[in-house]
Amino acid sequence: MGASQPNYLERSHPPKRALAATPRLVAALVAGKAGGRLSRLLGRGDGTSLPGLIARKIDPDILDSLVRRTGMPSIVITGSNGKTTTGRLITALLRGEGINARSNAAGANLAQGVATLAVCDSDLLGRQPDGLLVVEVDEGALREVVPELGPRAVLVLDLFRDQLDRYGELHAVSAAIESIADSLPAEAAWIINADDPLVASLAPDRRGRRVTFGFDLDRSTDHLTRAADSIRCPICRTDLSYDRVFLSHMGAYACPKCGFARPPLDVAVTALEMSGIAETKLTVRVLGTELVLRVPQPGVHIAYNVAAALAVMVGLGIAPVHASETLAAVRPAFGRIEVVQAGDKRIILGFVKNPTSYNTTLRAVDFAPEPRQLLVAASNTPVDGEDFAWLWDVDFEAIAPRLERVTVSGTRAPELANRLKYAGVDPSRTTVVEDRRRALDVALAAVETAGQLTILAGYTPTIELRGLMHQRGWVGPLRDA
Amino acid sequence: MLESLPDGQSHLDYPVIRVAHIYSSLLNVAGDGGNLSAIEHRAGWRGIATAIVPVEVSETPDFAAFDMIFIQGGQDVEMAVAADDLQHKGFSLREAADQGVVIFAVCAGLQLLGHRYIPSSGAALTGIGLLDLETRAGPKRFMQHAACEVHIGDRTGTVVGFENHSGLTELGRDVRPFGKVLAGAGNNGVDGTEGAIRDNVYATYLHGPVLPKNPWLADHLIQIALERKVGRPVDLPRLDDAVETSAHVAALNSAERNRGRRTALEPALLLRTRRPAPEWTPPSSSFR
Repeated sequence: MGASQPNYLERSHPPKRALAATPRLVAALVAGKAGGRLSRLLGRGDGTSLPGLIARKIDPDILDSLVRRTGMPSIVITGSNGKTTTGRLITALLRGEGINARSNAAGANLAQGVATLAVCDSDLLGRQPDGLLVVEVDEGALREVVPELGPRAVLVLDLFRDQLDRYGELHAVSAAIESIADSLPAEAAWIINADDPLVASLAPDRRGRRVTFGFDLDRSTDHLTRAADSIRCPICRTDLSYDRVFLSHMGAYACPKCGFARPPLDVAVTALEMSGIAETKLTVRVLGTELVLRVPQPGVHIAYNVAAALAVMVGLGIAPVHASETLAAVRPAFGRIEVVQAGDKRIILGFVKNPTSYNTTLRAVDFAPEPRQLLVAASNTPVDGEDFAWLWDVDFEAIAPRLERVTVSGTRAPELANRLKYAGVDPSRTTVVEDRRRALDVALAAVETAGQLTILAGYTPTIELRGLMHQRGWVGPLRDA
Repeated sequence: MLESLPDGQSHLDYPVIRVAHIYSSLLNVAGDGGNLSAIEHRAGWRGIATAIVPVEVSETPDFAAFDMIFIQGGQDVEMAVAADDLQHKGFSLREAADQGVVIFAVCAGLQLLGHRYIPSSGAALTGIGLLDLETRAGPKRFMQHAACEVHIGDRTGTVVGFENHSGLTELGRDVRPFGKVLAGAGNNGVDGTEGAIRDNVYATYLHGPVLPKNPWLADHLIQIALERKVGRPVDLPRLDDAVETSAHVAALNSAERNRGRRTALEPALLLRTRRPAPEWTPPSSSFR
């Protein structure tokens, strides 16, 4: 990383401007902050969305006023999987280089969650400290949020089939991302996962900075399964030919017909070694320099997240000089394969929301002692969706023979229990307990002393189960995770 | 629970059921692979072996040599590829249908077996006319739990699933509806029909996947495929369906919430939160 590369933060374009604090803006800030404070006092929610929700009701332009118009630098992270984890990595890398980076709370990635970040970051006159906002944005909120941020960089992690009933089809999501690309100024960096064919094909005509990341490994780390979404050429629809497959549909690919192929990598993972549930070792080539890194989180997907975070640094023109120290201290976000000591037993908590995150998590927990005791939970909620057909694309077949006992919970427990039966888990080994508290008790009771329980749960049941673990003093509160 | 036997072996004197899975990788959205799993396991638990053969683009086997054929859901772009290719399979598929081979089609599969699919813009996709029906793109997407009442032979049963389509299908005279809508939109949100049937061809809009949580339907398909193959009546041993039944009941309860909501845009729960559903504009449109 040469000194010739400009630092795009120092250049601060457009130039920073003072904010004219209108009475309406001040009212919105006061009400938003007060609402958040009150909701915490009352113990209602964790205040990650309410301040923004209130402030936007009073001043719908508040995000635009606070961020875009003041020239506050920001980075937008989007994609199906890994937004929260990658956001944590980017924030850590930036702080490691002395930049005051702030990010929105885990999962609060709709417009109100993003606005909450800006509201809580400002004083009552809308003044914010120097630094940078790292903003995770849900695919469904991109069109609304990105123009109000005017980000310096947009990172597209991956595109997987994620809750079809919420978003419509995969290609509609990619169309939304592409329209964002069109609206960005040329000097903003467009940072994409080259290994994901659909992501790599987005916005080919965009003029401006583009940084690619991916794996440069000489062997596959996965094989194509039925959960793979984008295995046809996004240009001509011919089946892609894969040299190597790294994670679901991500890999080194080329189209035999039209010549579309994986673009060259600016940031590449060149070596990868899983060492147990606690750590991933990897080497990443960043513009010709090799960084040897250790991250205290397991899984192939973590290597993608690290490469993405380093690509953002390249996009911003900041040399990640302290990357190895900072990344070694980034612990998993809540439920991202969190290891929890529950008295004399151990819990591995995995938050799963689609076939790919499920399969990736299943493979990651495989490094731990055999996942013989399992608690799985799925609930239909506005966040988790209504359609759970995707459970049939999860490779439960691979672990079924090794499962001793499975507790099935959540409001969609019957569907999940049926899925497990057809995956080869004999119903005599399955207990359905829809209530989350009782399910946790039942599942733990079946685990021997010093044994381990693996929990795989959707968003809402993860929050609920983690809340129970917090009540019992096994984990800290959610907002610290 | 009986264990399934390796390919090529079967007891109870039944031969192996040969199943063609058309476009197993191209049309594989929404967990429809679970339908194949239901057939394989429910036959296997009774000691009847199945051989599932994927049939992909540019492959043209003799479909009449199969006992069952599956063609299921896919996204719009994949469907266009499938429509092109299916023309080469059309003759053999129609022949198989005429000879009574069991065909099970879901969503995009249903549309492609019809005469044609007319999108909101662009050229129509030509189907293979195996089913007398036609589909036109509608302005809304039906996405909700759904249920219908199905009469097959001397059986009447409820079938539950999840519908996710924007196509509006009109049935012609040579097919009858697969089911009568109890909850959800069915073929078009208007006439109360769901899916289509002719001979041993069953087509539905329901995902879920539908067969694992409607085991009686899965068993019916296995039974008629076997009876046709061995040329005599078949009495399938009963299985313990407690798990399947509870999945069925749970899905039915969800569908009940949509009773009479034939034009629902989104699951009932989403409406109640008053959060607007994300809107998408087509790829060609500019930003905002």
